[in-house]
Amino acid sequence: MRGFQGYHPAILFLYYALLLLLSLLTMQPVLLLCSLFGAFLLYAALFGIREMLPDLVFYALLFVLLAVINPLVVHDGETVLFFLNGKAITKEAIAYGGAGSLVMITVVVWSACYTELLTTDKILFLFGKALPKLGLILSMTFRFIPLFQKQADRIGQVQRTMGLYNGKNLKQRFGGAYRTFDSLLTWSMENSIDTADAMKARGYGLRGRSSFSVFRFRLRDGKMLALMLLLSGIVLIGAGKGNMDFYFYPHLAEIETGAEAFVYYLAMLLLCCIPGFCEWKESLSWNYLKSKI
Amino acid sequence: MELLKVENLSFSYPKQEKDTAPAGKVIEDLSFSVESGEFIVICGASGCGKTTLLRLLKRELSPHGIKTGEILFGGKRQEELTDREAACQIGFVLQNPENQIVTDKVWHELAFGLENMGMTSSEIRRKVAEMACYFGIDDWFRHKTSDLSGGQKQLVNLASVMAMDPKLLILDEPTSQLDPIAASTFINTLYKLNRELGLTIILTEHRLEEVFPIADRVLIMDKGRKLCMAEPREAGGLLRRQAPDHRMLQGFPSAMRIYQGLDPEEEVCPVTVREGRDFVERKYDNRIRSLNRPEAENDGKIAMRMKDICFRYEKNGDDILQNVHLTVRHGEMVSLLGGNGAGKSTLLQVIAGILHPYRGKIEVFGKRIERFRDSELYVRGLAFLPQNPQSVFLKMTVLEDYEEIRPVMGYSKEEFDRKVREIAAFLEIEDLLQRHPYDLSGGEQQKAAIGKILLREPRFLLLDEPTKGIDAWTKKRFGELLQKLKARGIGILMVTHDVEFAAAYSNRCGLFFDHEVLAMETPETFFCSNNYYTTAANRIARRQYDGVLLVEDVIELCRQNGSRQVRE
Amino acid sequence: MRTKSGNRWKKSLVLLAALAVLILFFGIFGKFETVDEFYLTHMEDITADTEVVRISINCKTILYNWSRLDKQLRDEKYVPANGVILPETAYVYRKGDTAFDLLERVCRYNRIEMEYRGATETGYGSAYIRGINYLNERSCGELSGWMFKVNGEFPGVGCSSVVLQPGDTVEWIYTCDLGRDVGNTYNGAGADYGK
Repeated sequence: MRGFQGYHPAILFLYYALLLLLSLLTMQPVLLLCSLFGAFLLYAALFGIREMLPDLVFYALLFVLLAVINPLVVHDGETVLFFLNGKAITKEAIAYGGAGSLVMITVVVWSACYTELLTTDKILFLFGKALPKLGLILSMTFRFIPLFQKQADRIGQVQRTMGLYNGKNLKQRFGGAYRTFDSLLTWSMENSIDTADAMKARGYGLRGRSSFSVFRFRLRDGKMLALMLLLSGIVLIGAGKGNMDFYFYPHLAEIETGAEAFVYYLAMLLLCCIPGFCEWKESLSWNYLKSKI
Repeated sequence: MELLKVENLSFSYPKQEKDTAPAGKVIEDLSFSVESGEFIVICGASGCGKTTLLRLLKRELSPHGIKTGEILFGGKRQEELTDREAACQIGFVLQNPENQIVTDKVWHELAFGLENMGMTSSEIRRKVAEMACYFGIDDWFRHKTSDLSGGQKQLVNLASVMAMDPKLLILDEPTSQLDPIAASTFINTLYKLNRELGLTIILTEHRLEEVFPIADRVLIMDKGRKLCMAEPREAGGLLRRQAPDHRMLQGFPSAMRIYQGLDPEEEVCPVTVREGRDFVERKYDNRIRSLNRPEAENDGKIAMRMKDICFRYEKNGDDILQNVHLTVRHGEMVSLLGGNGAGKSTLLQVIAGILHPYRGKIEVFGKRIERFRDSELYVRGLAFLPQNPQSVFLKMTVLEDYEEIRPVMGYSKEEFDRKVREIAAFLEIEDLLQRHPYDLSGGEQQKAAIGKILLREPRFLLLDEPTKGIDAWTKKRFGELLQKLKARGIGILMVTHDVEFAAAYSNRCGLFFDHEVLAMETPETFFCSNNYYTTAANRIARRQYDGVLLVEDVIELCRQNGSRQVRE
Repeated sequence: MRTKSGNRWKKSLVLLAALAVLILFFGIFGKFETVDEFYLTHMEDITADTEVVRISINCKTILYNWSRLDKQLRDEKYVPANGVILPETAYVYRKGDTAFDLLERVCRYNRIEMEYRGATETGYGSAYIRGINYLNERSCGELSGWMFKVNGEFPGVGCSSVVLQPGDTVEWIYTCDLGRDVGNTYNGAGADYGK
C-alpha cells in the first residue's frame, strides 16, 4: 500500500469531497484546468498512459461536441460569430459549452480514479464505524456478488451444452433465464447454510463483538491532512475574495492575472496534483532504487 | 492429558414424514477418546456418519435430532461449556473452501472470529499479523477473497480459525475440493500445526495416502459404528480381520494395499512409499520385470479432432491455448493432466462449443464444429460434465430435471420412462430420482449428473475433474462405469488431477503444459517416464519392476516372482 | 474502467458519429448568415399618408433595483443611464403585423440584441421574449423579465398573438417584480400598485 492509495481512507474521502466541491462550484477556466490536469495525472499514474489514450480521445470528442451543441441551444452572448437559422451563434455560448464539458470530464475522471483508490473495504471502514452490523452485511454482500455472477455463467454454459434453452425464440430464452435465476436462488440458499455454519463456528453471536480495521491514522496522514487544509484554505480565501467567480454571458469575464490571483492558482494546482504526484513519485523512486541495485 | 472423550454416543435424525424408510441411527454407540496433541484421522465410506460425528463435537454445528451418550471436552460435559469456550476452543473447518468465507477481504476474514470474541483493535492487529506470517499469506493479505484460488481460500479458512487459538481443530474433508498440490500444502500445514504447536487435530479425509503417515491414530467407521481405532500401521490389519472385503480398504495408501494383497506373515505393515518400496524390494524377487499385456491398438473412428487451436479470452490477453492438437477416437478414454489454471478446463469448453477459438479447426464426428446448428451438436452427440455437478440441475428433483431432456431428444413418454429406468439401473441411482439434487452427496450428485448426460445418448463425452471429492470406492465404481461406456463405443476426454484414476482407466494420457498438449502416450509409457508425476504404486515398485502403475499390478508381479531367496 | 480495448474505442466512435450527424444536419438544413447579412433589413420610409405604429423599449425599473442586477450586466452598454434602450419611434405599419413582428424588425434594424422562443417552443402558442439587449428574464432578480403594453394596456396574451392596428403604440418594459412595479394588475397581484 503505497502512493496516494496508502493514505488513511478518511484522507482519501476528504480529498475527493473537497475536489468535487471545488470542481463543481467553479467554472473559472484556470482552476478548472488545474483540476483536470490533476485528474489526468492521477489517471495516468494509476492506469498507465497507454491505457489512457482511448479515454483521452473520448474526452476530447466530448469537449468538441458540447462546445458545438451549447451555442445551438443558447444564443446569449454579445460576440456574435454568425447567425444560424436566424439565431445568434456566439463565442460566449461556445466557451460555456466547452467549460461545462470540462467540469463534466473532470468529475468523471476523478471518480474513475477513485473507484480504484477508495475500494469497498475503505468505504466500509468509513461508514461501518457508525453501523457495524451494516458494515458486516455490506462486506458479505460484496463477497457474494462475484460468486453469484460466476455461478450464473456456469449454469448458463452447462445448460447450453445440454441442448437446453439455446433456441432462438424469445419465450425459450426468457424461460431459460428464469430457470437459471431460480436455480441460482436455490444454490445460494444451499451455500449460505455453510456460510452461516462457518460464522457460528467462529463465534458469531457471542456478546460484545468488536470491529477491526487495518487502517490506522499515521503521522503521514496528519501531514497530508495539514497540507490539504492549507492549500484548500488558500483557494477558498481566493474564492471569498471573488477570484473564483467567473461568468460567460453576455461577455466572458476577465481572468485575473495579478500576483495575488497567481498565488491562488498555484495553490489549486498543487492541491490537484497531490495524488498524481504521490503515485508517480512512488513508481519513479522505485525505478530509481531498482536502477541502483 | 485427555482432551476429548466420547462415551456411548448415539444419534438419529428426526423422522421425516416423506421418508418411508425408518430413520436409522446415524451414529450408534460410539466411544473413543483423544489425547491432547494427537492427530486423529477418521475414515469411512461416504455416508458412514463421519460428518455427523464431527458436527456433534462442535456444539454450534450440532444437527437437530435425538442424541444419547456424552461428549466431554477438557473434562467438562459439552452442555456445560460456556458459549465462549465452545466457540473459541474448538475450531472447525468445513469441506467447501468457498462457502465458509464470510467477508470480502482476506484481512477481514482473519479478523472475523476475533471481532466476535470482542478483542480490541490492537490485539486483533497483532493476532492477524501473526497468523498472516505463520501461514504465509502476508502477500495477499489485502486481496479480495473472491480472487483467491481454492487452496488459498482453504488456507485462509484455516488461519482464521487458528487465529482464535483453539485447543482442538476439527476438519471435515478440507482438501476434497482442492487440486493435489494445494491439498499436499494444506495437509503439510496441518502437520506443522500439530508438531510445532501441539495442536490436537481431528480430520476426515479421502486422501489417505498422505494423511496416514502423519496420523497418530485412525478411527475407521462404518454405518455409524466404530470398526476400529488404532495406529495407522495396525488399522489395516484390524479392519481386514473384521471385514475382508470392506470398501474402505480401497482407499488405503498403496503401500498398505500391496502389503494386504500379498498378505505376508510376520512383517510390519508399510505405510509410506519409502516403507512400501523397502518392503517390496527386500521381500520379493524381480526375475520377471514386467507383466505381459497385449497392446490394444485402437483404430476406431475419430470422435473429435482438433488442429492448431489457439484461444484467448481477451484480444490483448495471453494465449490460453496455443496450437493445440488432439485426437480422440471412439471407444477410447484420453486423460489430460496438468497444473492448476493451465487452461485444461478452457480446452474442454472450447471443444464443447462454449468458447470459440480464434484460430484452428475442430471437427466432431468429422464435421466442423461451427457447422452444427442450435442443439444439433448436443443431441446424440457431445456431452460435457462440468467440474461442479450442481450447475447441471435446475429443478426440485432429479427426475424433474431429467424430464427437461425429453423434448430436446423427442422421446415419447413411454420411451423416456424406459430410458430413465435403464440408466438409473445402470448407474444404481433408482432411489435418488425423487430426491433434491442438492441433498445428494458429492458422488451421488456426480452420478445423477452423468445420468442426465447419458439420457442424451452422447457419442463423445467431456469430463472435467470427475473424481473430485469422491471416495476411493465410489471412484472405482465410477471408473468401471466409464469402462462400460467405452465398450459401447463412446469416446471420452477427461481432464483431471487424479493421477491414480487416470493411470487405471485411460487408454492414453497427455500432459497439458504451457498452453499446449505435450506427450500423448499410453499410461504405462507416460507415467513410467515421470519421476514425480506418477502413481504411488509406480514410485514404490519402479526400481524393481517395469511399467507398473497400479497396486494390482505390483501385487501380481510380486506373486509371480515369489519371495526373494536369501542368497549367500 | 478497464474493459476490452475494442469497447474502449466504441464510445469515441459514438460521439464522432453524433458530431458528424450534427454537422451534416446543419450543413444541409441550416441557413448561415453573417452578422451584417442578418441585420440588413429594409425599413420603408415614412411619408405623410403612411400608417404608422410606435414602439419604445425601456428598463427603467432596473435603475431602482441595481443591486439585484447580475454583476456582469452593471454597465451602460446594457442598461443606459436613463433606462431607455429605444425611445418611442414611429415605424411604417405592415398589414398583419403582430407585436412580436414589430419588435423583431425594429431590433434588427437598430441592431439591438434580442432573444426569443418561437411560438412553437413555448407552452401557450405564442412567442416569448427572453431578453433584449442582453437583459434576460431573471437577470435582475427571480421575478424579472420583459412585458409589453399596447396603447397603455397589458394585453395579457403572448406578443405574437396581438395583431396591431395602425396608430398603435407598443411599449416594451422590463419588470423586476412580475409586472407589479410597472402597473400590471392583470396577473391578479398588486391592484394597489397602480400608477
